[in-house]
Amino acid sequence: MDYKYVGKPFPRADAFEKVTGTAEYIDDLRFPRTLYVKVLRAGVPHALIKSIDCTLAESSTGVIKVLTGKSKIFENHKLIGTCIFDQPPIASEKVRHTGEVIAAVIAHTEKQAKEAVNKITVDYEELPAVFDPLEAIAPNAPLIHEKNGDYTHLPTFQPIPSTNIFFKYNLKKGNFTNVFEGADVCVEDDFEYPLMNHAAIEPHGAIVYWDLTGEIHLWSSSQAPFILREVLAHLFDLEMNKIHIHIPNYLGGGFGGKSDYTIEPLLAYIGKTVPGNYVKWILTREEVFKGTVLGRGMKGHMKIGAKKDGTLVGIEAQLYFSDGAYGDTSCNIVLAAGHNCAGPYFFSNCNLKSFGIYTNTPPVGAFRGYGHPEGQFMIERLMEKLAHKLGIDSNQLRFHNFLKPGQTNSLGQTIAEHNGDIRKCFTLMTDALETIPLPKEESKYIFGRGVSALVKSPVQAANASSSVMLKFNEDLTVNLSIGGIELGQGNRTVLAQIAAEKLQIPVQRIRINPEINTQLSPYEWQTVASMSTMRIGNAIIDAAEKAIMQFKVNASIVFDCDPDGLIYNGIKVSNENQSIPLERLVLGYQYPDGHTVGDPVFSTGSSVVRNVTLPDLESGKYHPYEWTFGSQGVDVRINKETGEVKVLHVVTVLDVGQVINPETAKGQIMGGVLQGIGASLMEKIEFDEKGEMITKNLHRYRIPSISDMPKYTCIFVENPQPNGPFGCRPMAEHPIIGPPPAIMNAIQNATGISINKLPATPQKVLKGLEKQRLA
Amino acid sequence: MKVSITVNKINYTIEVDEETSLLNVIRNHLNLTGTKNGCSQGHCGACTVVMNNKAVKSCLIKPKKYNNTQITTIEGIQTGFKLHPIQEAFVQKNAVQCGFCTPGFIMELFALFSNELTASKKRIEEVLEDHLCRCTGYLPIIEAALLAQRLIQR
Repeated sequence: MDYKYVGKPFPRADAFEKVTGTAEYIDDLRFPRTLYVKVLRAGVPHALIKSIDCTLAESSTGVIKVLTGKSKIFENHKLIGTCIFDQPPIASEKVRHTGEVIAAVIAHTEKQAKEAVNKITVDYEELPAVFDPLEAIAPNAPLIHEKNGDYTHLPTFQPIPSTNIFFKYNLKKGNFTNVFEGADVCVEDDFEYPLMNHAAIEPHGAIVYWDLTGEIHLWSSSQAPFILREVLAHLFDLEMNKIHIHIPNYLGGGFGGKSDYTIEPLLAYIGKTVPGNYVKWILTREEVFKGTVLGRGMKGHMKIGAKKDGTLVGIEAQLYFSDGAYGDTSCNIVLAAGHNCAGPYFFSNCNLKSFGIYTNTPPVGAFRGYGHPEGQFMIERLMEKLAHKLGIDSNQLRFHNFLKPGQTNSLGQTIAEHNGDIRKCFTLMTDALETIPLPKEESKYIFGRGVSALVKSPVQAANASSSVMLKFNEDLTVNLSIGGIELGQGNRTVLAQIAAEKLQIPVQRIRINPEINTQLSPYEWQTVASMSTMRIGNAIIDAAEKAIMQFKVNASIVFDCDPDGLIYNGIKVSNENQSIPLERLVLGYQYPDGHTVGDPVFSTGSSVVRNVTLPDLESGKYHPYEWTFGSQGVDVRINKETGEVKVLHVVTVLDVGQVINPETAKGQIMGGVLQGIGASLMEKIEFDEKGEMITKNLHRYRIPSISDMPKYTCIFVENPQPNGPFGCRPMAEHPIIGPPPAIMNAIQNATGISINKLPATPQKVLKGLEKQRLA
Repeated sequence: MKVSITVNKINYTIEVDEETSLLNVIRNHLNLTGTKNGCSQGHCGACTVVMNNKAVKSCLIKPKKYNNTQITTIEGIQTGFKLHPIQEAFVQKNAVQCGFCTPGFIMELFALFSNELTASKKRIEEVLEDHLCRCTGYLPIIEAALLAQRLIQR
């Protein structure tokens, strides 16, 4: 389609502030009467708290209050949650991970608070701890939640009392009791996707202020202001219109790690003890690792079966998620991985089981990809193994089995033409790879090429919605208020393009209001799941259509005609005989004598995801949202002496429906690919034998730097999404999914080494190479 | 202890303790919040400023080292409404996503181009190696650096 503003590389609306250092993030906000918080974290992974001695801390210089689980403010506290309510705001009887907060100090300065924290002593009765999901479900494993099964939860939960399993999901399709009936060949393997950290460069922070009328004002580096409002309303029995959640104009990255809630509920309790004061809590990098949420953490087993000609028949998988001390923020990842681990392939029979398991690590939360990288790592590795066993080219095997329109996916949903074209994505990807010469083996290096295919659906509340407010000004500029967060993705640029296209006015005349305040901002479920462009975009189109109709109605009064017959073109409203410029209609139409007809142009719009249902407990079936297909291919260079793997080139092809802004879309691909390389080669959260986290800084937990960067090829396929704004569909998380399986496939193609436990560290690769030399 | 420091051409005398980092002075004493704190451990590069013509990680610099020095921060390089060519290049090349690492990258390049305007691409990548960006995949940042070099030379 030929659009004027959509599909064009408009520069980022927020770049100027960001390059000048004037963009404000949470730690940049300054308030009067500000106090500071530092906390004491458990330091042991699983223990009963026998006593906490705060005497020295209380008399430490500058200290205003020292709080523990026994403090009055926490008396009769509720449990925190949105899906399962299993988390206390502070540990009082028991600690379940080393980063759990057991005491908090409020002081005049951060330094004073820190000094006082160091003076608190705790006496524990240590309990056996468990970090591995398989060990956590073994008989006699330490029980992390004695009350598992008693917690309030959504009806989709099936916790198993007296175990560490708080969530289970079983998807059954076709002949699920005899999945491999009719299969000639089966392959299977064990897989591991370790715990990881989002490592957004901005640490989490929040500021709370309870005013003296009892209303709460909270500023946070959060992707989810309206979830925070819901959580605080529940915890404090507050009416929602007395809660003011503000998000600074900018977030320094999120990737899911700042979604739902992290430190805010506890800070709200802490702040309530000093009403009238602003209380600021900015985490250190170590606290980001230990005291927010981690990502991923799956061990799994998968088996697939096919006929001799390569036609897939059935899939069986068991996924065990190490979800840490509390389960609320991870349950839907377990669900998503459970059904999406079948990848973009047609299987007649599925029996897929996925478990959310308590372990003694920080809780796990959303992380870019949300269950899809874990599940599709397994299937994409097994497709390679199956091809090898069948003696069929793995690309052909994939192509033969890709979901076709009319076929059903694992959930039994029929795939339609408009869901996008996985075959085209895959072909374009392999074609692009073929144009890149793969170097021949040399004395030091061996080179390999590998591919993967992917499919993703956004995981969101079944009633997730976006609302917007659109205000036309007298000079025909537009102010748009949204509830979505700018965390790097460029929503203010892309959404302005959507508004411009619909309103037929220049994109420069549209300003997306950067301020988010739940008192004023329209409702937004949360900024996650790659849904900003699609869901907020649809709300903007709704508001724009209403605004256009308001212009027409104003003109129709003057013309004394039916508004539906009028034409709006961004400059004027007209019929075949006459026209009125928009300037003269925007506040209603004023006649020369001053009297005015019609109304000022001001509209609202909203968008709710439709036809999303909740999983059926028996069959596991439900309707998630729409699908996005894609493919990725890589070239790698392996150092035979060191085992070091360098990714040389990554080709990504996504069927995005319609590109809104090619530059920001490419930005999502490149960033996602490099995060995928991090997962493939270096990123893993590790604990020592006492359960203390070893990888608690950005040196020990290494994320990719410039030298890890590959060459990027980004290709967009555009089969429009009928219910997407101008045909676009979600695409932002997706590039992180394919690199791990594609890279492991490339390593295997080059060396024969099979790595199914991420990451492929030099030690692991070297060990594999040495083993082969011996063999 | 008392330290004297010139930041963005303004002289300050400040009372600090031995542990007060240059980053702390810049952000909390002078309220110049453009310089970011990503880790306080010298691992991410977000806090990079220019000290006596050299890029430094301000979170690691203690009073003895920054006393009597000339500092330039991200706030000190544009002229009124006019961006510095490095800033201009970051805008043009879409080298910004969340923006939190951006001031650090820009100040590293500011120091590099002040001293070695004709630095090779390899040299540029070398000095940016210990700056972390989690959003962009780095390519647009390198492209912005190369464009900035041309804009300054012009």
